[in-house]
Amino acid sequence: MQKTLEVKGMVCPFPLIEAQNEIEEMNSGDVLVVEFDCTQGTESIPSWAAEAGHTVTNFEQLDEASWTISIQKK
Amino acid sequence: MSYMIITGLLCGALLGFVMQRGRFCLTGGFRDMYIAKNNRMFYALLIAIAVQSVGVFLLIDLGVFEYSAGSLPILSVIIGSFIFGIGIILAGGCATGTWYRAGEGLIGSWIALAGYMLMSTMMKSGVFAPFNQQAQASAVFPTNSIAETFGINHWVIILPFVAIVGFIVYKQLTKPKVVVPSLKPKRTGLAHILFEKRWHPFVTATLVGIIALIAWPLSAATGRVFGLGITTPSANILQYLTTGDQGNLNWGVFLVLGIFAGSFIAAKASKEFRFRMPDVKTGINSFIGGNLMGVGASLAGGCSIGNGLVMTAMMTWQGWIGLVFMILGTWTASYFVFVRPRQKAKAAKLKEQVTPA
Repeated sequence: MQKTLEVKGMVCPFPLIEAQNEIEEMNSGDVLVVEFDCTQGTESIPSWAAEAGHTVTNFEQLDEASWTISIQKK
Repeated sequence: MSYMIITGLLCGALLGFVMQRGRFCLTGGFRDMYIAKNNRMFYALLIAIAVQSVGVFLLIDLGVFEYSAGSLPILSVIIGSFIFGIGIILAGGCATGTWYRAGEGLIGSWIALAGYMLMSTMMKSGVFAPFNQQAQASAVFPTNSIAETFGINHWVIILPFVAIVGFIVYKQLTKPKVVVPSLKPKRTGLAHILFEKRWHPFVTATLVGIIALIAWPLSAATGRVFGLGITTPSANILQYLTTGDQGNLNWGVFLVLGIFAGSFIAAKASKEFRFRMPDVKTGINSFIGGNLMGVGASLAGGCSIGNGLVMTAMMTWQGWIGLVFMILGTWTASYFVFVRPRQKAKAAKLKEQVTPA
């Protein structure tokens, strides 16, 4: 299953907190796509995902100050 | 005058650039010690303190400039730092963080900055100045320098501190590495390193420490014997703009303007600049946070840079006590802003599952 979380306009650490809450509700193997525009999230979200043991399947910049990251729950 | 403008702007621009690209956010760092049990950014701050401390005391020993830490208004440092810590959580960034985020185009940071500049000015030369002076004059200890209090040479404190920081860095770097996924590279060479690559927090911290060190002789040459500082210069800008008195212009004013410019350049070149409007709640929080930052930093005689990075490196009580209470302030605010809402949401959900519909 794949789910998209739109957190554009939110400032850090809220994109990260929303992503953490969301992934807690999901099942192992599910993918969460987070779309965010908070610059500091480019550091905090992948760092959290890696340390929590989830797999980042995609991470790219879409536009000026706009990013997407796909996290597969472990 | 032109020397002051050029070196101030340059030093600030370097700092703004490095902080923006390195995501050097002290607010986030203090907050994550509590909500994520992650001390990486705090260790990074210690590295920046250590680099600056060794450099500045070498310069002082060589006679490049003289520095006296003065006295310690302990009560206003404690209360002010705590208020400042609460403010930076609400504003979503410390004083420097707010300046560099403003350069990224975040309107919320512009709002915070407006509140911060206004309140610092009111505390330093406006209606609250008598209150501020009274607070500064109560509970004052005669010596601020830790070495002076114990009657020892400053290196007796600096060298063990550097050894501890070195040990922490060694432990951190030899830990089993978690690979942090990075963005798909779209550029090569220097452009990739400067405008795209993820900077390791410790590398960023070392650069911040070096810039904080360079700031001392550059600023001292204009008669302002101090390093990086944000609060007083931010107030000076508003004082100059509203009175037209050129006496308010100093090296620090150009430093903070440089931070804004440097961050804008870094963000623009990295395709990270965009005007972003916050929602109403974030906007209000930013304004309240900015005002609390102004009150707190004025009382404490420094923000997370002035006290947390510079006065700590000078091995003063003000720096280290200020840093501790600033961190406690961010933890207190983090509990109410991040931790409690989460616990409440969880409890509500649990109740929903337990109670049969």
